[in-house]
Amino acid sequence: MKREQSKKYRQLQKLRIVSQLAFFAIFFFLFIKTHYGGADYLTITVERFFHFDPLLALTTTIGARLFFAAFWLSVVTLVFTLIFGRVVCGWICPFGAVHQFFSFLFKKTRWLKPKRDDSLSLAPKYIILIAVMIASFFAVNLVGYLDPLSFLYRSFAVYFTPFLNMAFSESASLAYSLGLESLGQTIGQALGNVALNSFFQNALVIGLLFFTAIALNAWKERFWCRYLCPAGALLGLFSRFNVFKLKIDPEKCINCHLCSIQCETNARPFPIGEWRSSECIYCETCAAICPTAAITFPLKWKAEKIQGVNLSRRKLLLTSLTTLFIAPIFKITPHRQRAYPALIRPPGALPEEKFLDKCIKCGECMKVCPTNGLQPALTEAGPEGLWTPVLVPRIGYCEYYCSLCSQVCPTGAIKELTIEEKTTVKIGTAFVNKNRCLPYALGQQCIVCEEHCPVSPKAIQLVKVETLTPEGKIATNLAPFVNVNDCIGCGICENKCVVVDEPAIRVSSIGEKRSEKNRLLLQVNTQNDSQE
Amino acid sequence: MERRDFIKGLLIGSLAAGISPRLLAQSGYPELAVVTGESPEKITRGAVELIGGMKRFIGRGDRVIIKPNIGWDRTPDMAACTNPEMVKTVVTMSLEAGAKEVIVMDHTINQPKRCYIRSGIQEAAQSAGAKVLLPDDQRLKKVNLKGEWLKEWEVFVDFLEADKIINMPATKVHSLSKVTLGMKNWLGAVGGSRNQLHQRIDEAMVDLAAFFKPALTILDSYRILFRNGPQGGRISDTRLMKTVVAGTDPVAIDAYGATFFDFKPQELLFLQLAASRGLGKLDLEKVRIEKRTV
Repeated sequence: MKREQSKKYRQLQKLRIVSQLAFFAIFFFLFIKTHYGGADYLTITVERFFHFDPLLALTTTIGARLFFAAFWLSVVTLVFTLIFGRVVCGWICPFGAVHQFFSFLFKKTRWLKPKRDDSLSLAPKYIILIAVMIASFFAVNLVGYLDPLSFLYRSFAVYFTPFLNMAFSESASLAYSLGLESLGQTIGQALGNVALNSFFQNALVIGLLFFTAIALNAWKERFWCRYLCPAGALLGLFSRFNVFKLKIDPEKCINCHLCSIQCETNARPFPIGEWRSSECIYCETCAAICPTAAITFPLKWKAEKIQGVNLSRRKLLLTSLTTLFIAPIFKITPHRQRAYPALIRPPGALPEEKFLDKCIKCGECMKVCPTNGLQPALTEAGPEGLWTPVLVPRIGYCEYYCSLCSQVCPTGAIKELTIEEKTTVKIGTAFVNKNRCLPYALGQQCIVCEEHCPVSPKAIQLVKVETLTPEGKIATNLAPFVNVNDCIGCGICENKCVVVDEPAIRVSSIGEKRSEKNRLLLQVNTQNDSQE
Repeated sequence: MERRDFIKGLLIGSLAAGISPRLLAQSGYPELAVVTGESPEKITRGAVELIGGMKRFIGRGDRVIIKPNIGWDRTPDMAACTNPEMVKTVVTMSLEAGAKEVIVMDHTINQPKRCYIRSGIQEAAQSAGAKVLLPDDQRLKKVNLKGEWLKEWEVFVDFLEADKIINMPATKVHSLSKVTLGMKNWLGAVGGSRNQLHQRIDEAMVDLAAFFKPALTILDSYRILFRNGPQGGRISDTRLMKTVVAGTDPVAIDAYGATFFDFKPQELLFLQLAASRGLGKLDLEKVRIEKRTV
């Protein structure tokens, strides 16, 4: 018998790799483009990938009971999957490409040795999917933690961007120390233009999770895609027709098991009749690797009975019930009852409940924030709000003429604002700590906060303050007094305060425009006054 | 135009007669040129020509650095930064005078790129052929300022490496130093914890002014910020003066600039300190000022 691999499918396999590279390149290009490029409004939709994700569309729509228009695009993915199967997972998904790439490396290094008849259940991802969906019915948004695009983007924003920044600034300093002045300067200017954010709280956890997800590929090929990915599971449920159906020519097949051993997602192309169409991502590995070219994917329109994953009704029911009891745990938190001072949301953020329903913790806003001020929350927002964006003015303030975070939010958790609208959005209020403020506490002149206050008239006004010094003298200085009605809570005062460790002027969330409860001074309606 | 031609003629004539421009400066040129007019470009040119032309300050092959105020993420009509047309004009004039390279940079307060773009200065300066550099922390160097209060501080090497510095401040009020003009502008040439300098701002300004010795200072008073300084925020915080003040005496220039806000120069602490350290003339009555309208 003639032993020869199929040329056609080897070509197709190469094409698939090219497609993965191309889509990853697009993803990365859009990622890098998510920054202030010199115009107030971004000209390309850098968050576009997310809109094609049906899992995000479903969960955020169910959770918030609100449909975000851009998610219509996810219908494209669904229809495509319905007809062709999970091609998106194998050919397009950038996180899938990352896993594929590392699986390949681990195979080459022999850390990953695929076994014959791997029986590890592929069901967990369906269980995760059900849990995530049911949670969203209770308006608990868990999808962001495990959605592949969210996971990848967040890891890139919080870990990879600082890494790039470090790498480039270190090479600049190396260039300077080698006397390569102009090279150092070129790198420095490029860094200044791209402004890579370099400090993130929680980067350790987010970074380590990313590496764990990658390291798991050394155990099982495309571990994430096989066992964890809820988006893949959803597409699996929708891969109904799979018009290109795997077919093994029994005449040619030599029962070598190679196709099933090397299958990226353990879709069992062999034995004949056991192919799990809902697991197949059309990577074409089996057809390309088959030593006798016995495997083909001919066009066949008929819907077939899905050789799915063994997921009994009992398991489904138990999962659903468990989630039903677990989901509310996230809501048993005082954060729901009362506002938290450090929970300063980006301008345009919806009221907290709606915000939590919609935010997928992808990190787009953190990537685009020009001052690095938007940070992944740890405890600020309660258990539901882990890794949602909060402004930490000590790290970076909210630029007055910037609404970029509101432009890149893929789910509308941050409502898109024009620059004019943004400058009127109050996100918090600054308060002076007179025990630490230089004029008040030390009798020293300063006024740095007043100088930086961006609103006109300034929200920080100056008053003359007399401080008794130990020498018995009275030091008279100008000291800050916050006019809370004018303060928008941008936090530049806190950021620039000379008392760097525990600033003498701090912003807290009180007075934020989006909340009806977190208010301070009772506003008198001036319009009514003038009418009377 | 007649005046410009006259000045040019004078300069060419004097060169022909073998008199060095420097000598002429001491004899003929005013110490301060105050030129008013509609066009930022024309008044800038007019002022520089009135005090002897750019060639008096910039030599052939010089590496020039221009220090405008690009501190804030504000449009030109907010008067928080230096007028971009004026920066452009000074870049052009420097290159016309034979400068090999003209750098424009400032250590901004808001994100640098935002300030460079919204102020219009990056585009204007680049279009005239300048190299516009973002401040780069790796190019900071601790230097001995030999100041009375500030002994050592980090300075951008770009200012140290240049052959000639041109100071191009904006004209604004400030809650601590009362006004921010030429001397305060040097806070944008240094790094470090600049917010600490406010603790003795007047001394810091004078120490920095004594360290940076600009060949020329061109004060942009086209639109001045009289309220909510130093960044304003509303056009109503500004006032059109349509004026440029040029000169080499940093004290006289700031003294003159202070009068736009009806301050008496003698009232301002940093000017007193600067004058007592011999950095320039505080008493405007003793300064040869020439005013023109173009």
